[in-house]
Amino acid sequence: MTSPRDTKKAEWLSKSEGLFVLRDPQAAAPDAELFLVIEPSGITAFCGHVDLGTGIRTALAQIVAEELDVPFDTVTMVLGSTDAVPDQGPTIASETIQISAIPLRQSAATARHYLLNKLAVERGLKPEELAVEDGIIRPTNGENWSVTYGDLVAGEKCLLALDPQARVKPVSEYRLVGQSVPRNDIAAKTSGQWAYVHDVRLPGMLHARLVRPPYAGWDFGDHYGTSLIEVKRQSIADIEGIVDVVIIGDFIGIVAEREEQAIKAADRLEVVWREPQVRPDLNTPEEALRNNPSEERKLGEKGDIERGLEGAAQTFEATYVWPYQMHGSIGPSCAVADYQDGKLTVWSGTQNPHWLRRDIAQLMKMPEHDIAVERLEAAGCYGRNGADDVSGDAALLARVVGRPVRVQLTREQEHQWEPKGAAQVIDVKGGLDAEGGLAAYQFDTCYPSNGAPLLANLLTGRVPAIPITFDMGDRTAIPPYSFPNMKVAVHDMPQLARAAWLRGVSAMPNTFAHECFIDELAAAAGVDPVEYRLRYLTDPRAVDLVREVAEKSGWVEHSLPGSMGSEGDIAYGRGFAYAVYVHGKFPGTAAAWAAWATEVAVNKKTGEIGIMRVVAGQDSGLMINPDGVRHQIHGNVVQSISRTLKESVEFSPTAVTSKDWGTYPILQFPELPTIETLLIPRPDEPPLGVGESASVPSAAAICNAVYDAIGIRFRELPLTPERVLAALNEREPEEETRPTEPKPAKRKSLIAGLSGLGLGALAAGGLALLSPIKPAIPTIARPDSGVFSAQTIEQGRLVAAAGACNVCHVGSDGTAFGGGRIFETPFGNIVASNISPDPENGIGNWSYPAFERAMRKGISRDGHHLYPAHPYTSFAGASDADLQALYAYMMSGQAVAKPVAKTELAFPFNQRWLMSAWNAMFAKSETFTPVAAKSAEWNRGAYLVETLGHCSACHSPRNALQAELDGAQHLAGGYADGWEAPALTTASMSPAGWDADALYAYLRYGHSPHHGPAGGPMAEVVESFTALPDSDIRAMATYLAEGRETAVEARAADALEASMAARDSALVTAPRGARIFEGACASCHGENSDLTSLALNSNLHSASPNNVLQAILNGHEAPAILAAKTGREGASLMAMPAFGKLYDDKQIGELTAYLRARFAPEKPAWENVGEVLQDLRR
Amino acid sequence: MAREFEIQVNGKASRVHAEPDTPLLYILRNDLQLNGPKYGCGLAQCGACAVLANGKPVRACMVPLEAVGKTEITTLEGLGSPQNPNPVQAAFVKHNAAQCGYCINGMIIAVTGLLNTNPNPSDDDIKQALRHHLCRCGTHMEILAAAREAADMMAGASPLSSPLGEKVAEGRMRGSPSGVENRDFHD
Ligand code: FES
Ligand code: FES
Repeated sequence: MTSPRDTKKAEWLSKSEGLFVLRDPQAAAPDAELFLVIEPSGITAFCGHVDLGTGIRTALAQIVAEELDVPFDTVTMVLGSTDAVPDQGPTIASETIQISAIPLRQSAATARHYLLNKLAVERGLKPEELAVEDGIIRPTNGENWSVTYGDLVAGEKCLLALDPQARVKPVSEYRLVGQSVPRNDIAAKTSGQWAYVHDVRLPGMLHARLVRPPYAGWDFGDHYGTSLIEVKRQSIADIEGIVDVVIIGDFIGIVAEREEQAIKAADRLEVVWREPQVRPDLNTPEEALRNNPSEERKLGEKGDIERGLEGAAQTFEATYVWPYQMHGSIGPSCAVADYQDGKLTVWSGTQNPHWLRRDIAQLMKMPEHDIAVERLEAAGCYGRNGADDVSGDAALLARVVGRPVRVQLTREQEHQWEPKGAAQVIDVKGGLDAEGGLAAYQFDTCYPSNGAPLLANLLTGRVPAIPITFDMGDRTAIPPYSFPNMKVAVHDMPQLARAAWLRGVSAMPNTFAHECFIDELAAAAGVDPVEYRLRYLTDPRAVDLVREVAEKSGWVEHSLPGSMGSEGDIAYGRGFAYAVYVHGKFPGTAAAWAAWATEVAVNKKTGEIGIMRVVAGQDSGLMINPDGVRHQIHGNVVQSISRTLKESVEFSPTAVTSKDWGTYPILQFPELPTIETLLIPRPDEPPLGVGESASVPSAAAICNAVYDAIGIRFRELPLTPERVLAALNEREPEEETRPTEPKPAKRKSLIAGLSGLGLGALAAGGLALLSPIKPAIPTIARPDSGVFSAQTIEQGRLVAAAGACNVCHVGSDGTAFGGGRIFETPFGNIVASNISPDPENGIGNWSYPAFERAMRKGISRDGHHLYPAHPYTSFAGASDADLQALYAYMMSGQAVAKPVAKTELAFPFNQRWLMSAWNAMFAKSETFTPVAAKSAEWNRGAYLVETLGHCSACHSPRNALQAELDGAQHLAGGYADGWEAPALTTASMSPAGWDADALYAYLRYGHSPHHGPAGGPMAEVVESFTALPDSDIRAMATYLAEGRETAVEARAADALEASMAARDSALVTAPRGARIFEGACASCHGENSDLTSLALNSNLHSASPNNVLQAILNGHEAPAILAAKTGREGASLMAMPAFGKLYDDKQIGELTAYLRARFAPEKPAWENVGEVLQDLRR
Repeated sequence: MAREFEIQVNGKASRVHAEPDTPLLYILRNDLQLNGPKYGCGLAQCGACAVLANGKPVRACMVPLEAVGKTEITTLEGLGSPQNPNPVQAAFVKHNAAQCGYCINGMIIAVTGLLNTNPNPSDDDIKQALRHHLCRCGTHMEILAAAREAADMMAGASPLSSPLGEKVAEGRMRGSPSGVENRDFHD
């Protein structure tokens, strides 16, 4: 069990010895602000901010250890638990080092002076005559004694008021601050020993998952909190372990004993919601932002902007658009709550424990002091993600069920509901004087707010879900350059999508506009962009930084694009940008200064941009931990490249549709640039926040570099290949590169058109000739299994395996032969019957003649006709011995006393007697006769394939009346249970083709290296075949391989090569599909996988997208389940997830288009994807 | 229907009672209390849940319990401890190769898996092995440096002297979009 709790303040303060430094020693425990405790056993320091994965825990401990001159590892930091630490507000805006660390340093200084004074008095010395080193206090007068802080506090208790005036150590004496002390959490994190909030486990803890409403990603609007119409609890009645389904307003939580039970239930619970509200399009957010009511707030004015613009020699205007983006934490948020005796404890990954406590108090209608928020680390969040929301959810559920509850958001929920980083639209106007100097600058930025109230408060209706305006759009809105005439304003507006602060909040978009625009002005003035910046920068530290970064990058002065030239399709360019991140209430506090010089490569054929190199410079003042600073810069560089090149939240009219890493991709290892950091040493300047600064110049530097490469300005992000390519094409209309696509073959419809003619044939031809009524065969008592020899039963088992009887007749709960599986046919749904030996519900009272008649003629014991979904036309050819053995086997099995639903077809197909006509037209009744000229193996194979195996039932096309076609059409491909059953003849679409070895491998192991795995119903057939001896599998392979391909290896190699060569053209054809593939599929189906390439998979080459869509919609079972007996490993242990609920039709369409273009490049695009998709979704 | 399974994890046989389709990840975390593998997506996309199966990395979120069979599963805990780390873990500690550390399980498993099959990987091999392991904190540079050092250590080459991270970052690792040859900017 892991249930970490920080010791409460009250417990600390009730200790009988130690030195306690508080803001106000008179305050009572819950409100007291305790910063430092020195005990004989060690030193503990408290900070209201939390470690978001940035290593702040280490830096803060360094600060305390420095001030006390004790070894670093004697200081323990307590961060964030509301019961232990002071309320210092949320951990945002790079404030921890700049603001929250101050009382810590002062507390340490207070304690140090107090203890040294006390010691000096005791020893008759002056405090200056004492020196502290590594925690040991010694006199400087040569006397030979020493004590520790621990000795000084032993045996007594002292409460000390923090003295803000206490003299702190001069920086020149620092020996620990400024050193790269290794982080104190990494050894535990690299070995699974670190307890994240996700790892909290309490005795008796339950697991919960949530079902969220359809208005995913919003926090205001019509029917918010009142959209739930009905929850069908019956839909999860069969899932074990469900403890409760908690419903409050639009909040639904499912609590279960085990996590996988909660997962399954949340997936299956049927809920009826109101239609969600239609929202403005936020995919290209400019229009929505412009239409959003706003209030102008002037931030800065200088000179006369109107006159300045009027009098300028040249004026320029540009609009910059920033998309909605995500925090994208790698771990979806999680929380654990426990409610006992009116007290609530919540283990949370929140950034703001005290704020969260307030919100939860409101949600639960509880006094704050009855709630403790224990803060544990979670996945890095870079702002506010779902951590608070899930804490509220856990609190609600824990109180209802009275046991501790762990709530884990799904990936999809975190993506959809996390409060996003807001979009922004920025209008800039600028003017140059006749000499190309800056004359005027007007900057208007629109920022839709980011309050994001606790979701549970909104969903339950505790807090009204209304638009609220906040004022966070002003960060770094003032440009760093001196314009004689300037006006800067922010247009505060309420939220559009649910939003909260995200790294570099508003400063990153504002800087994108400032720094791209200054680049445009420099180009217009014909001056090198770095040189131009230097002319107008006034801050000397900015000037130093810009110079040094330019120099380190080997900046080459230029005033025209193309400074790095190009090679073939690849153009290179360099770009620069500078910014200081200003945070807090306007006019705010400056964090570290940052500048980027970057070099990019642009592929003019595909539109891809590669960042080759980034020189990121930073002036952070005094650096507490230089390695920590460097790592923060690396992190910011990587993340902000990702945001600039790839990231934009996608929306449908009603919900966020970016639900996973396929639809919201982030930067991957192969895309990393070289990163060089440049740290300006300023040990005498106050330390500055470094958590965000290096992100701020990123987008502008990259766009400026792209301009240098291809001469095109991009003013909207992200720089996706399709955006870049569209701009390139607009500029230089090139010849259509895509091959013209031949008309695609029409998909053979699942629901084959039933012609009136066919029916007529049945009615007229059939009826006239035949009496439809067949006699019933009397029932018998179920034969005793003792009457069959063990050998016969065993033979029957193999016959059943070859016939894969249980694939169709499996019970709905998985019991063998219980029946109930439903098959969609053109006539309607047919229910497979119970064929277990139960006399009531199965075939236990059937005599052998009744059984044989059903098998060979399709007539049930009671005389009614079976539909040809039961492949009696094939079984007709089985040998008597095999059918007798099968009968023996079936009769000696387990009876399943469970009726199945009746097959109910619409008229006229419910007229079973029509089947007699059908039989007259299509059924055969000869038994199989071996072909003398062929080998025994061939004949055995033919027998298995054509009779017991009834391969043609799925693999032959059928006519309008569902009869298998013969002759050349025999085994030429059909449909089964919504899957295309590919041709087993030379009509096969398999690029490698099938020889006997490939067929053997496929039928034996469910997988052939040159084809891939068996999917859909075929996987079950192969599973059934595992009972058959090798000789039978060989025989089938031999029979099926006759007249088939050779040179499988060579053909496979060709197909692989063609697919590799199609990489670029497929990317251009379906850029969005390419991204989904890379993010969602390529971890298993990519180039490095040990799975068979999709380029060899027949389904990608088929005329119909049917099976590809089936696999995408429904996923795929782990091949290894089948292979458990065959010892496969690696990726085949894994199942493929179902994307049917995750992706909408558009996304699946894009993905499918890419798959086809990439893996079957010689085949025409599928044009009926939408149609088939709708069929399959039904 | 839930039933009894015996699986081999970190060199020990463990019996668990669960539905056959339960993803191995939840068995490891909830039944065996192994916190190394993390839930990140449940879709085989991010790599946070990776474990070794007979020495090869797989994503535990997509491995159904019934597929495990006799496969030997090794989790992060099975590789080493803070006191006794395996070479990859040691290299990660040395390079401070974690910010929040949520992704680090997958990174260490992937690098260990890579070195099991390719003791002498190129930088590109390392990046490809980590291609579908996502890190949002941007710890990539430190992770690559750690992976490089672990590979060098295991290949017997004397580890480069520090600061290796920056050295690697500057000298070896660079992005290259399709069709872009690596160009040397240092000449
Ligand atoms: S959680 Fe398994 S890959 Fe993401
Ligand atoms: S270190 Fe946080 S996700 Fe990688």
